[in-house]
Amino acid sequence: MNPREIRSGVRRVFGLALRRPGASVPGADAELESMITEHVEHLVARGADPAAARAEALRALGDSTLGARSGVRSSAAHRERTLWWREAVREFFADARYGIRTLRRSPSFSIAAILTLALAIGANTAIFSAVSAVILRPLRYAAPDRLVSLYETNPDFGWTEAEVAPANYLDWREQVSSFEDVAAWNNFNGAATLTGYGEPRLLNAVSVTGNLFSVLGVRAVIGRTLDSTETWRSGAQFPVVLSYRVWRDVFGGDSGIVNRSIVLNGRSLSVAGVVPESFTIPGLDSDIYSSVNWPREDRAAVFFRRAHFVRPVARLKPGATREQADAELQTVVTRLQSQYPETNTHMGAGFKPLHDFLVGNTREPLLVMFAAVGVLLLIACANIANLLLVRAAGRQREAALRLALGAGRGRLARQAFTESAVLALAGGLAGIALGWWGTRVFVALQPPGLIPVRDIAMSWTVLGYVSAVTAVSAVAFGVAPALWMTRRVPADVLKDDGRSTTGSVRARRWGELLLVGEVALSVTLALGAGLLVRSYSELRLVHPGFESAGVLAATINLPGTRYDSAFKVEQFFNGLEQRTAALPGVVATASVSQLPLTTPAWSSQFSVLARNAPPSTEQVRHREVTPRYHEVMRVPLRSGRLLASTDGVGSRNVVLINEAFARKHFPDENPIGLTISFDRVPDATSVWRTIVGVVGDERLGTMAVAPVPEFFEPLAQEPRQGMTLVVRTSGDPAALTPALRRIVAELDPALAIVSVRTMESVRSAALARDRFLTTLMLAFAGVGVALGIVGVYGVVAQLVRRRRREMGIRVALGAGARQVQWLIVRHGLVLTLTGVVVGVGAALALTGALRTLLYEVTPADPMTFALVPLLVVASALAASWIPALRASRTAPTEVLRAD
Amino acid sequence: MALIRGTLDVLVLKAVSWGPMHGFEITRWLADRSEGQFQIENAALLQALHRLEERELLAGEWGVTENNRNARYYTLTTTGRTQLRADSVSVRQSVAALATILDARSPGLRGAL
Repeated sequence: MNPREIRSGVRRVFGLALRRPGASVPGADAELESMITEHVEHLVARGADPAAARAEALRALGDSTLGARSGVRSSAAHRERTLWWREAVREFFADARYGIRTLRRSPSFSIAAILTLALAIGANTAIFSAVSAVILRPLRYAAPDRLVSLYETNPDFGWTEAEVAPANYLDWREQVSSFEDVAAWNNFNGAATLTGYGEPRLLNAVSVTGNLFSVLGVRAVIGRTLDSTETWRSGAQFPVVLSYRVWRDVFGGDSGIVNRSIVLNGRSLSVAGVVPESFTIPGLDSDIYSSVNWPREDRAAVFFRRAHFVRPVARLKPGATREQADAELQTVVTRLQSQYPETNTHMGAGFKPLHDFLVGNTREPLLVMFAAVGVLLLIACANIANLLLVRAAGRQREAALRLALGAGRGRLARQAFTESAVLALAGGLAGIALGWWGTRVFVALQPPGLIPVRDIAMSWTVLGYVSAVTAVSAVAFGVAPALWMTRRVPADVLKDDGRSTTGSVRARRWGELLLVGEVALSVTLALGAGLLVRSYSELRLVHPGFESAGVLAATINLPGTRYDSAFKVEQFFNGLEQRTAALPGVVATASVSQLPLTTPAWSSQFSVLARNAPPSTEQVRHREVTPRYHEVMRVPLRSGRLLASTDGVGSRNVVLINEAFARKHFPDENPIGLTISFDRVPDATSVWRTIVGVVGDERLGTMAVAPVPEFFEPLAQEPRQGMTLVVRTSGDPAALTPALRRIVAELDPALAIVSVRTMESVRSAALARDRFLTTLMLAFAGVGVALGIVGVYGVVAQLVRRRRREMGIRVALGAGARQVQWLIVRHGLVLTLTGVVVGVGAALALTGALRTLLYEVTPADPMTFALVPLLVVASALAASWIPALRASRTAPTEVLRAD
Repeated sequence: MALIRGTLDVLVLKAVSWGPMHGFEITRWLADRSEGQFQIENAALLQALHRLEERELLAGEWGVTENNRNARYYTLTTTGRTQLRADSVSVRQSVAALATILDARSPGLRGAL
């Protein structure tokens, strides 16, 4: 095809005029003019009057005087345009009708194609909805691009984006002038029990500095929000702000609630106002916002600089750049380091856009899923293109005949294309419906915390994206058949009487190329999914350090107002444990301040008595337990003894350590009997505790994190108001729930249980994120590979159909069934292997992106890279065998007679 | 007098076979040779010239007239010359055929013409 042909082909396809009017014959006007001049001069030379001569010359020109001529030309151009439009529209509808008719003639093909497409587009819609809600949509605060999230860093503790000590936050707020203002919140939701409105109800409460709402630019829907003076404790009753949801669901949307008192954790608070429905603090889903209520004198306290628990958010001043702000912040940080060496040595700070903070580690799984559905769509398109190509090849005689009868190639291409467009439209619509539903399913099934925003839904952005995706896929699978259709030479096709294979060589090459691409993509996808599956199965094998079966866990927060002494707290949990232990089937009960596999507890440093070792910077986690905790959880005792009920107030302070601690800090000695304090540099006020036992390691946080050093203190010596009761039973742990609730209500009717879960479900929740991601990826890969295999089958079946005669002849000449089968299978196998090689190569280059999502599996895991291709090749082999078997069974006579 | 349809092309080829001519010269030439019988419209002639040029029977080129004006001169190509020969024969034959038909006398109309 030479360039001119292509150009005119393109112009034809898009219905542009083939030549621009006015440029039809270059120089025509000049020539006409010269003829008239010659004529006039000729007449004048014979004595005519010049004016009359000109009139005569123009008359002699015929019916096209210059003025009339341009009129004719433009009206012709106009007519051409109108005609073209009318023709194009008529043609389009005719093509669409024809397309729908042909699609209805082969319903199985059409349904398969539309379903494939709908599935791929639906998956894209659902995932893109999440991507759009999390990554693309700006935060719903005023001028969100000027908001940054601040954090602390410390190489000694391995902190990269740690929470901030309140005193440091306050200094930054006052000393960094590029910040208009800095607010902060305590980075966790506390459970707060609301009483006085029916049943005691548990709400998620977060403490914030008074200026948080003004920094974020949020106004109250009714009433007011907090102001900056309300950060500090004062004599006044302290105010809370309600979330819209709580205001609507709990208080019935009553606007009289403003300035009224509510009782939270036994404490009377006044309602300041209600924030809009869309408002959340990034990463938290809170019901109630209360002030941090810091006493002013804490400002100077050492713990205010030592304990790191707030998340500051700053608003940059208009005109201030991030670089300026950072430079100022670093100056302040350096000053604080030298000013407070005890707490701030090596304590650095930094910030990043608030949006990045929100997206956090969600970005990676989301983008991986997004890439996966993108690949899936490509596979689907390649598959449909191949099916369409096969059909186009089947219709080559029709096309050739129409070409021979004078149909334009553009016309044929357009028609083939319209069919694809009809298909894409149907698939796209079905896909949007599926995606709308899929988005809901996705939101419902996603494990808590994977997606940090509440409202994921179809939006105009999503619809726009889906339309674009549909259009692109229509082009993707429509182009090959359309181009191929118009490149047929009618004579060849009509002459060969449908027997020769030469006519379809090109179509076959196209199809094979598509197939190789399809197989490669599905192999890449399957390898990605395979790695996640491998990682997940590794993760499942991880022993959490405790026996989860048969254990029920109930979390309870005692309100500090009524349980204001160690004695009251201990008495409550003792009573609870004793009464629960009396329930039928209960083997043992205990309480712990923090369950394993949940968000890690508080931590501190430590020092060992009478050692001159340099102070360690190790942060050790602390948990408070009642004596039988390790027994209930079946965590083994490695040496020494467990805690006993005699380890109480007044007796010697004791502590248990876990193996990770012993291994790391006392590798060559027996730690039992050593005395330690939780201060890095002990002083006169330090409390000394004796290590009495070493217990096995449990995993904190997630399964993927190796056990860290831990302390266990007896609850009696270190009281905590928030504890979780763990109950080991010989029966079904969940069945204990009603009895447990009854006991709690009897002990204290104003208490609400925060949560009751079986340890099995805690363990399962710890894997939820990986399971979710793995399942989704596996589903995508499954569909992808299935499509790839269907593609192999299609191409091989087509080959068999084309070479039936040849096979018949071979069989007639005495070829064995095996030989014939191998001939066919080999073809499918070569294509599959090529695809597999390309796919493996692509995967090797791409799976590095999965690194952070993988546990104990390298991105080039040999097992995955061996098994997945093997699986694909085996299935492709099976898929090629079916048509091959059919080919070898063809009776030669039947084939030879058929023509 | 109007031309018989389809004969303009062959006449133009014939005119140009005498040597390069521009449009108006061809008009003049045809008018002279037909002793003023054929008055050809310039627009029609221009179309004929372009048609012939597109079929590569004529080659057009801008040149300068005796009066020092720009005009497009046409020369006969080799294919044009072959075409002219073939067309001359066929036009002569068809004119002869026409004449035979028109001269024939119907038995029923004897004496009518």
